[in-house]
Amino acid sequence: MSDNNMNEQLSIIIDTANRLFGDSVDKGLLDAAERGEFAQSLWASVVATGFHAVGSKDSGTGVVELFALLDVAGRHAAPLPLAETLLANAWVGLSEGVSSIGLWEGQRITDVPWGRSSTRVIGIRPDSAECVIVEQVEVIERSANLAGEPRDVVRVPEGASRHTIRLNHGNAWSQLALARAVQTAGALSTVLDIALQYAGEREQFGRSLSKFQAIQHSLAVQAAEVAAARRAATGAVDALDTPRAAAEIAAAKIRAGDAATMVGEAAHQVLGAIGYTHEHRLHHFTRRAWAWRDEFGNEFDWQRSLGAMIAGVGADHVWSFVTGR
Amino acid sequence: MLELDRVSLPESSEALRVDARAFLQQHRDLIGEPNSDFTTGHSPEFSAALGARGWIGMTWPKSFGGSERTFFDRYVVTEELLAAGAPVSAHWIADRQSGSLLLKFGSEKQKQTYLPAITRGESYFSIGMSEPNTGSDLASVRTAAKKVDGGWVINGSKIWTTDAHRNHFLIALVRTSPAQGENRHVGLSQIIVDLRNDGAQVRPIRNMAGGEDFNEIVFQDVLVPEDRIVGEAGNGWKQVTSELSYERSGPERFLSAFRVLVEFVRLVGPNPLPHEAAVIGRAAGHLMTLRKMSASVAGMLNQGKQVDVEAALVKELGNNYEKLLPEMTRLALSSNRSGRAAWRSAFEQTQLLSPSFTLRGGTREILRGVIARGLGLR
Ligand SMILES: Cc1cc2nc3c(=O)[nH]c(=O)nc-3n(C[C@H](O)[C@H](O)[C@H](O)COP(=O)(O)OP(=O)(O)OC[C@H]3O[C@@H](n4cnc5c(N)ncnc54)[C@H](O)[C@@H]3O)c2cc1C
Repeated sequence: MSDNNMNEQLSIIIDTANRLFGDSVDKGLLDAAERGEFAQSLWASVVATGFHAVGSKDSGTGVVELFALLDVAGRHAAPLPLAETLLANAWVGLSEGVSSIGLWEGQRITDVPWGRSSTRVIGIRPDSAECVIVEQVEVIERSANLAGEPRDVVRVPEGASRHTIRLNHGNAWSQLALARAVQTAGALSTVLDIALQYAGEREQFGRSLSKFQAIQHSLAVQAAEVAAARRAATGAVDALDTPRAAAEIAAAKIRAGDAATMVGEAAHQVLGAIGYTHEHRLHHFTRRAWAWRDEFGNEFDWQRSLGAMIAGVGADHVWSFVTGR
Repeated sequence: MLELDRVSLPESSEALRVDARAFLQQHRDLIGEPNSDFTTGHSPEFSAALGARGWIGMTWPKSFGGSERTFFDRYVVTEELLAAGAPVSAHWIADRQSGSLLLKFGSEKQKQTYLPAITRGESYFSIGMSEPNTGSDLASVRTAAKKVDGGWVINGSKIWTTDAHRNHFLIALVRTSPAQGENRHVGLSQIIVDLRNDGAQVRPIRNMAGGEDFNEIVFQDVLVPEDRIVGEAGNGWKQVTSELSYERSGPERFLSAFRVLVEFVRLVGPNPLPHEAAVIGRAAGHLMTLRKMSASVAGMLNQGKQVDVEAALVKELGNNYEKLLPEMTRLALSSNRSGRAAWRSAFEQTQLLSPSFTLRGGTREILRGVIARGLGLR
């Protein structure tokens, strides 16, 4: 496919996804999802659009489209295990059902997003290509992350099938980490939009908040953080098929996590008390960005991993490591 | 503006990186004690060698001594120089800013007069914007140039002028005609001063790090020839603001503290403690991201795009990073840790320079204002 066709396909996916999620993911749906109701009709639309297959074999799309879709899902806080389903479909075969992915710990798979609604759960480990695939999903513990997204424990039955996820570079765990970084970049983009809009509308002391320099500067810093998170994420996606994948993914997860901390804090400050209410939609995005920092390795984990790589090459090669040359 | 282009450096630029490293290796005796801050080492010898290699004015036309290379190529060479801690300050401003300004706005004769010597690494320029009563509010400059027979007579003073005591020329922002009521942007001009021959008095000012890099310049009836006005008289505001974008997005805005990281890695060795490894990883993760952002801006410069806001984003993040990096390493090390001498030397130099990071080239507050304008807030 020519570059132009590829870009065209990518922008169609992005536009369609923005419309699909924009039309259906509203405050009501997000609240319902937090009460534990699976967003069934949203899922049905995702499948009807063919989005569940983006990035899968023979779909004509690859990782660039897959992660672009996750960015949009993050922007809308779409309450689905979309990252997990797309990556599972890409790795172990397309399924129309909901797939999820968690940490494989012997007889259990923990922190499984929407485990209770999944028909297939894959257990992976940070440092291994081996995975376990569970198709008769039995949830033995229900829980949720800081954003109220289901995170369950799933039993691994005797004789569950083992599989090896072969990627040219990086491993399954790191791609999930990148997915969270991309989703975070998406969610933070919306956080910034909300803060910008509010600052333009809300008036105090006879003028809009956006006219106060302290607020302008806070928003400027938030914008810089969002730009950094976005560039780190796109950079890692573009490096997925290179030997740089592991380092770039680490950088993206670290950078997105730092941005989440900063932007989440500052945006809430701009919105005042209204942003602290359950009624307001801001927290659906800030809580996700906060929660995702800790999934598939938090900043500290990835900092250590990247730091160990660099310590390994030594002081005189820090620069060649950073530049990849 | 928040969606920076997804560019990666072209292979031809990466090939140049190999050449740059070979060059640095070959000239390592000129580097002395490496310092990745772009203002720290002043070596006409190094600058001349770099010029001879064709790496000053890299993006300029060949007819003026340039190499007609891309901004990606320039990005790669400049970051290699900084990371190696090479002494680049002599030619830095002329290469980054003054030459580019002359190329864009200068007369044919000015280009022929000044650019080839800059590209040879022989002619160095300073920036004459700030004055005792003019800092962030640049349009308030009072130094004035008055048209007389045979030239312009300059009166007033400039301050914080980096390297004016050892550079050849200054491009000063001066008032050539009065402001029109509220509109202070009219009547400003840029004028070239020959720092060694025109009679301006230059006095170095010692900074808190002990260095004597910046200066005060006093003009008392300093007469300069007519053809020293850059571009058009009265067009100074537009010119000076366009110059600022070149000043803000480059790797010198995030690499000033790089040597601290290198020495930290050396100190903690191949098997660092978890928190030490984490410091390295965090520093590297941010640096890798900043490089991508800066390269994205280089790509925009290639396309001739306006980059003010994007450049401000890079400088804002980069300067914060330069300040955070030494601090992270400091807190990860016990103060009685043995073998810290090399790290400590890099740390202390950087700590003492660090207040300048968010001042020079436009303060943090001014940059946030630029970003806020880009966001439509003002
Ligand atoms: C190492 C170094 C080298 C330099 N080299 C040069 C050089 O070569 N040539 C040159 O011309 N200049 C040079 N400068 C000067 C530099 O450009 C100025 O320091 C800078 O523009 C700020 O001006 P100021 O120091 O007068 O601070 P001021 O403008 O007085 O500002 C003081 C503080 O107030 C803040 N402030 C000012 N206005 C506002 C506002 N509207 N809103 C909010 N906050 C505001 C500033 O951000 C800053 O924090 C150099 C400075 C340093 C430190």
